[in-house]
Amino acid sequence: MIRRTILAVMAAVFLVAIPAIAHHSFAAEFDETKRIKLTGKVVEMRWSNPHAWIYLDVNNNGKIERWAFETGAANGLFRRGWRKEDLPAGTVLVIEGWQARNGSNTANAGSITFPDGKRLFAGSSNPNAERQLEGK
Amino acid sequence: MLGAALVAVLTTGDAYAQDAPARGRGAGAAGPAQGGGRGRGGPEAGAIRRLPDGKPDLSGFYNSNGRGANYGLEAHPNQGLTPGGQGIVVDPPDGKLPMQEWAKAELKSRQTPARGYDDPTAHCVMAAGVPRGMYVPSPFFIMQTPTDVAILFERMAWRRIPIDANRKHLPDTVRLWQGDSVGHWEGDTLVVDSTNFNGKPWLNEAGEITSHALHVVERFTPVNATTIMYRATLTDPIVYTRPFTVEVQLIRDPEGEMLEVACHEDNQDLAHMKDIKDAGIGLEKK
Repeated sequence: MIRRTILAVMAAVFLVAIPAIAHHSFAAEFDETKRIKLTGKVVEMRWSNPHAWIYLDVNNNGKIERWAFETGAANGLFRRGWRKEDLPAGTVLVIEGWQARNGSNTANAGSITFPDGKRLFAGSSNPNAERQLEGK
Repeated sequence: MLGAALVAVLTTGDAYAQDAPARGRGAGAAGPAQGGGRGRGGPEAGAIRRLPDGKPDLSGFYNSNGRGANYGLEAHPNQGLTPGGQGIVVDPPDGKLPMQEWAKAELKSRQTPARGYDDPTAHCVMAAGVPRGMYVPSPFFIMQTPTDVAILFERMAWRRIPIDANRKHLPDTVRLWQGDSVGHWEGDTLVVDSTNFNGKPWLNEAGEITSHALHVVERFTPVNATTIMYRATLTDPIVYTRPFTVEVQLIRDPEGEMLEVACHEDNQDLAHMKDIKDAGIGLEKK
C-alpha cells in the first residue's frame, strides 16, 4: 500500500511534465488512418530499447492473434512511475492506437484501459497520441 | 497494482506534454519565448548562480523547453501523428528556414515513410548533433569547471566544450557527429563555436538538414537560477541561403537525476523500422 501511494504521488508529480521521448518519426512508422482498438491479454511487457513494448494476445473470432504495441522509452516510463512488475502476464487490457504502415500486427499505443474503463497511462512514445484520440 | 494507483491521475492534464520542463519547476518562470524575447525570472527563480571565480554556474540537470522543435524548427500545427510545434526560429523574422531548393526537395524525400528509418537517432546513433541535442525531448546534465563545460545527454551522447578563446579547431579532415567546440565567456553568456561536423545528423524527426559545412555559434545566457536562454546561429552555405537562429529555454530541475539508456540492448524497433522502410520502398516502386 505504501508503495502504491508512492507511485500515485510520483505519477501525479511526473505525468504532466516529463517529456515524451521518441527517436523516430511516428508518421513514418505508423499510419494515422489505421486507428485500432483491441482487447486482449498481456503476454509480456517488455522493457526493451529504445522503446518498451506490450505484447497482447487478441481473440479474433476464435483465432488468437499476437499484437505488439510500442510504448514510451523505458526511462520515460520509469520516471512516470512504471515498474517492470506492474503489468503481469494475463492482465486484460484495451489498447487503442495506430497500426504500422506495413499492415503487420504492430501498433503505437495511444491509450490503455482496463476492461472496467479505468485508464492506465500508456506512456506513449507519441506526444500527439492523446490529442488524436480525443479528436482535438 | 500500479494501474489502480495511476488511473486517478491519468485522465487530466497533458500527459504527453512535449518538451515541458521536468516536474514543472521553473515553468512559470520560463514560458515560451515571445517573439525572440528573453525568459523572465519568476519570484521563485532566484539570482543567477555563480562559481567562486564569478562566472555563471550553468551546472545541473536540465530539460529543454523545445516547443516541438524535434518535429520541425518552424511553427507547424498538429497533423495526424506528427506533434505540432510553436517554432523556434527567431531569425529570419518570419520564422522560416532559408532552405536552398535542393534542400527543400531532400526534406520532402526524408518525410516519406521509406526515409523515416534513415534518421540516425532511429538507429540508436546517440549523438544527435548540434543543436538538436539541446531541444530533443530528453534531459541532459551540464558539468562545469573554470576550464571546461561538459554536456552529458541522457540519450544523445555528450559534448565537451573547452573554455579557451585561443584554442584552434581540429584539422579540417576530422569530422564528428557533435563537431568540435570551443567556448569563451562574453559577460554572463557562454559563447560556443563549433565546426568539424560530419553532416550526418538530422535536425529533428522531420528531417531538417545540415551538411558538413555547418558552423554553429551557441549562446548560453542564464537569466535566473533555473533558466538558461539558449540561442544557436547556424551557418551552412551548402543547405541554406543565409544563417538562421533558433532559440529555446533550458530549464534546470535541482531534483532531477540522470538515468541510464542502453539503446542498442534488446532493440525492438530497428527491425520493425526496416520492415516499414522495405514496405515503403516497395510501394514507391509500384
